[in-house]
Amino acid sequence: MMRRTVSVMATLSAVALALTACSSGSGSGGADPGDGGPITLDYWAWGTAQQPMVDAWNAAHPDIQVKRTDAGGGTDSSAKLVTATRAGNAPDVAIVEYNTLPAMIVAGVAGDISEHAEGLEDEFAPGVWSQVTFDGATYGVPQDAGPQALTYNQAKLDELGIEVPTTWEEFAVAAEKVHEADPDTYLTTFAPAEFGGFAGYAQQAGAEWWSVDGDTWTVDIDDAASVAVADYWQDLIDRDLVLAEPMLTPEWNAKVNQGEVLSWPAGLWAAGVLYGVAEESAGDWAMAPLPQWEEGDPAVGFQGGSAVVVTTSTEHPEAAAEFARWMGTADEASAAQIEQGQYPASLAGQELTLASDPPLLMPQQEDYWETAAEITRATIPEISWGPNVNVASSAFQDAMSTAVTNGTPLRDALTETEAEVVDDMETTGFEVTQK
Amino acid sequence: MTPGRRWGAPLLFLLPAALLFVAFLAIPICYALYLSFRGMRMAGGGPFGVRQETWVGLDNYVAAFTDPELLAGLGRLAIYGAIAVPLTLGLALTFALLLDLPRVRGSRFSRTAIFIPYAVPGVVATLLWGFLYLPSTSPAGWILERVGLGSIDVLHGPMIFPSVANIAIWGGVGFNMIILYTSLRGIPVDVYEAARLDGASEWDIAYRIKIPLVAPALTLTGLFALIGTLQVYGEPTTLRPMTSAISQTWVPLMMIYRDAFTRDNLSLAAASSVVLALGTLVVSVILLRVTQKRSFGES
Repeated sequence: MMRRTVSVMATLSAVALALTACSSGSGSGGADPGDGGPITLDYWAWGTAQQPMVDAWNAAHPDIQVKRTDAGGGTDSSAKLVTATRAGNAPDVAIVEYNTLPAMIVAGVAGDISEHAEGLEDEFAPGVWSQVTFDGATYGVPQDAGPQALTYNQAKLDELGIEVPTTWEEFAVAAEKVHEADPDTYLTTFAPAEFGGFAGYAQQAGAEWWSVDGDTWTVDIDDAASVAVADYWQDLIDRDLVLAEPMLTPEWNAKVNQGEVLSWPAGLWAAGVLYGVAEESAGDWAMAPLPQWEEGDPAVGFQGGSAVVVTTSTEHPEAAAEFARWMGTADEASAAQIEQGQYPASLAGQELTLASDPPLLMPQQEDYWETAAEITRATIPEISWGPNVNVASSAFQDAMSTAVTNGTPLRDALTETEAEVVDDMETTGFEVTQK
Repeated sequence: MTPGRRWGAPLLFLLPAALLFVAFLAIPICYALYLSFRGMRMAGGGPFGVRQETWVGLDNYVAAFTDPELLAGLGRLAIYGAIAVPLTLGLALTFALLLDLPRVRGSRFSRTAIFIPYAVPGVVATLLWGFLYLPSTSPAGWILERVGLGSIDVLHGPMIFPSVANIAIWGGVGFNMIILYTSLRGIPVDVYEAARLDGASEWDIAYRIKIPLVAPALTLTGLFALIGTLQVYGEPTTLRPMTSAISQTWVPLMMIYRDAFTRDNLSLAAASSVVLALGTLVVSVILLRVTQKRSFGES
């Protein structure tokens, strides 16, 4: 039970943030470079790979020292960045997920680094690079990438005599076979709150949820491709061939451990997450390219991945941009990343993975990194996220959960999501057309 | 003594409380009111123009009142409250009366045992109960499965209301029981002796003497329970990742949190907060008015 007075809840937090802000002194501070001392940059980043990367930078750059703060995962960190920017004490550099980057630009958090980005484009595959460029300007340096793949329980599928599906049609047939063999076992999960996962499947099918033409945004979350994807999963849910429940709950984790959930089509990072959930089944798992809508078409979308941005609040934009570039492209940075199980965004970093051991979940899969590189080369080149993905994501989660719970059509949930997104953009003052 | 000196000491003693009140209650409330009339709007043109805070009049209030989810959230809150409030108070009163019986054994142990859940932090309690609710981690589910009854999923459909309410009841009964029990202990024993001489049974004493005499304490706990209901947030938020049945707007406070921190719309959250706070005030005043005469003997 909450015992605090309701009326002050929201504002108390705001005041608390402001107070913390005052006490922590100048956020984008550090010594004045004029006095010859080293510059100190504040850097907000989450994940195990960050500290080793920062340590490597600090060892090599005595003049620009970086202090890392873990301000929470993607959603939390972004929410804090917005508040801190308004309070005028944001860090100099921060990690932002690709799909939140437009929201960070519109909120005035991420600064334009085009003038420091010379030659940067060649370091990345076009699909990755398009995640950080908007309207001709560059707002970040890609750091890690999460192209979608199929992480599956190879031991179980072999036991059931099921081949790894290469198309979604085969995937449905496989789901049927798995469920026939044991009604408690499912090939995969359709978690209604997995916005990023669904967005990736829809991108693969050719969906374009946001697009810009001149000053006008076009929003089309219930386009034909997305509706087709929704209908595909609808059919699997209706026939009880997929587990339509939230993921990564104690319940779900138990099922994965018991071999009752056999695959997860998600970003490449899924191997790390599954290892945390089902360490004992390491060696049973493997990774393959995501099933396709059309046989032979290798395209896949992204789920997750992030970029390093330089904030508008920094007093050292040049040093900050240099650091961001190093984090995204230097070999030392990539090496630290790979060791921690992240997939680097840069082409050179991806090259480096080829000499590395496969992830802990599938130590037996010798061709893991080759497959990963192949998948990454086939990612869709142009994906654009809108300025209010946070609204889309929260609307999607509720609409989808309700649809699954009440048995109403998933495609209607897409229409509802679109209506909320457009409404929010219109209220804010964007020019929007709805398809 | 001059009038100034007479007022000096009291004012000095009032100062810390007044300062704290102004800093942590008055200013935030005023700021919330101010924020509720502001909003983030596009400043320049262009698809990636930066948003700035401006005056938007009553827009946020209109948005709050026209959003069906806020009303639906209040509806869900009402169902939750209809389960949680009577059960919490009823159980607390029952336990307090039982512990207050003469010649009751093990009362100290029982009192502590009933009170202990209140000392468990809400988030911890919710996680504990969550594990008990989920079929594959629940011992109850395990037993039901072995007996051949199949699993009961208490985190889906209408069962979600009693499931969430249960956690609050489990945590709240002990606290309310202590208040009622303390109030019972304050009743002079000669009242009971007189009643017994007149031939009253323990049941009569409880029903005709104890309950009417602890009515002020019941009103107080009732008010706490009601306000607690309007402020439900922790339990459903902690349970949410485990079930699709709880949306981000399941109760009004969750919606306020979502608007403020997930959707970066502090102004709308401030407006909804003001509405909810005013609603709480109105409900509390009505409850006090209705019960005042009976429980405090005032007119």
